[in-house]
Amino acid sequence: MAAGPYNYSYIFKYIIIGDMGVGKSCLLHQFTEKKFMADCPHTIGVEFGTRIIEVSGQKIKLQIWDTAGQERFRAVTRSYYRGAAGALMVYDITRRSTYNHLSSWLTDARNLTNPNTVIFLIGNKSDLEAQRDVTYEEAKQFADENGLIGDNVEDAFLDTAKRIYQNIQDGSLDLNAAESGVQHKPAQPRAALNNDQVPTDKGCQCATV
Amino acid sequence: MEIILNDTVDPKDLRNFRHQYEDQCGRGVPSEKAQFEYAICLVRSKPEMDVKHGIALLEDLCKRTHDSDTKRDCLYYLALGNTRIKFYEAALRYCDAFLKIEPQNHQVRDLQMHAKKKLRNEGLTGMAIVGGAALAIGGLIGMGVAMAKK
Ligand SMILES: Nc1nc2c(ncn2[C@@H]2O[C@H](COP(=O)(O)OP(=O)(O)OP(=O)(O)O)[C@@H](O)[C@H]2O)c(=O)[nH]1
Ligand SMILES: [Mg+2]
Repeated sequence: MAAGPYNYSYIFKYIIIGDMGVGKSCLLHQFTEKKFMADCPHTIGVEFGTRIIEVSGQKIKLQIWDTAGQERFRAVTRSYYRGAAGALMVYDITRRSTYNHLSSWLTDARNLTNPNTVIFLIGNKSDLEAQRDVTYEEAKQFADENGLIGDNVEDAFLDTAKRIYQNIQDGSLDLNAAESGVQHKPAQPRAALNNDQVPTDKGCQCATV
Repeated sequence: MEIILNDTVDPKDLRNFRHQYEDQCGRGVPSEKAQFEYAICLVRSKPEMDVKHGIALLEDLCKRTHDSDTKRDCLYYLALGNTRIKFYEAALRYCDAFLKIEPQNHQVRDLQMHAKKKLRNEGLTGMAIVGGAALAIGGLIGMGVAMAKK
């Protein structure tokens, strides 16, 4: 495998979406810089971060766009959905309104990304159990109704990548399609990944907490 | 920071926001929302002329709005736009104005660091133009201070 800047085989594009203040930027910083930012200001427009992870022995570079949740950015941040391979949809378990707005975020995510985009639902701030305003059961039901599955916040970035990688391997995600949200680094031989275009069910590729 | 600075708007989106803004202009004073959306698309557009147009719209909005959040966001995009067209001194003034209101904002601090580095490396080209712009910016910075004291 090539060394230097291309010591990864794929690039996956992610977006993080959800109401303002639910903790999207904190999640990003925690994941890319491994530190918790106690007092995060509202994001202006969009923030960006990267990290290289490993899935099935393959190094994958995640390029993550963290969008502003404030209403006045809603229209302009929609353009970042295009070409996302993964979308992390976040709500705050202590604020019911952020949960109620999920259907509108999900609609945007479905309309503006491709059918293979993996959507991961995150119920954030689970440390504030005493102030919980959305029960685990109803979130689980929402997830089931929308064909979502999944587990815990820490693994959101990784589990999403695993799912995308699985889609590449079984041929349901066409890397040559525009806006697949995945780039294959040319340094790496293609390893017959997208030769066999196995038709797979185009069901929802989602995961959740 | 480079990624954010090089991230350009899709021309289709720019066109949509322009139509919205111009429609409203045709009917009277455009809403702050329409002006803001169009302006922040313009400062992320490729042609320098677009960026300058966006900067002008943001300066205007910054003056006429009574909403402190809108002012704050305008300052950020003014700093971003000026950095994109290499008007680093102007960009740094907007960063300063912003950081007076919100000293810890990492998006602005990153931008400030980037502009400072560029200014050091690329020297003071465009100094004369920037000198003129500085006068206009003085007014906006004054406004920033007023907001901070509120
Ligand atoms: N208790 C607790 N607080 C959190 C957690 N994550 C974020 N916060 C706090 O929630 C606030 C908002 O976090 P942000 O990450 O800025 O929220 P955001 O979703 O990026 O907001 P916008 O940028 O406005 O869309 C901050 O004050 C954080 O300290 C968490 O897991 N637990
Ligand atoms: Mg944020």
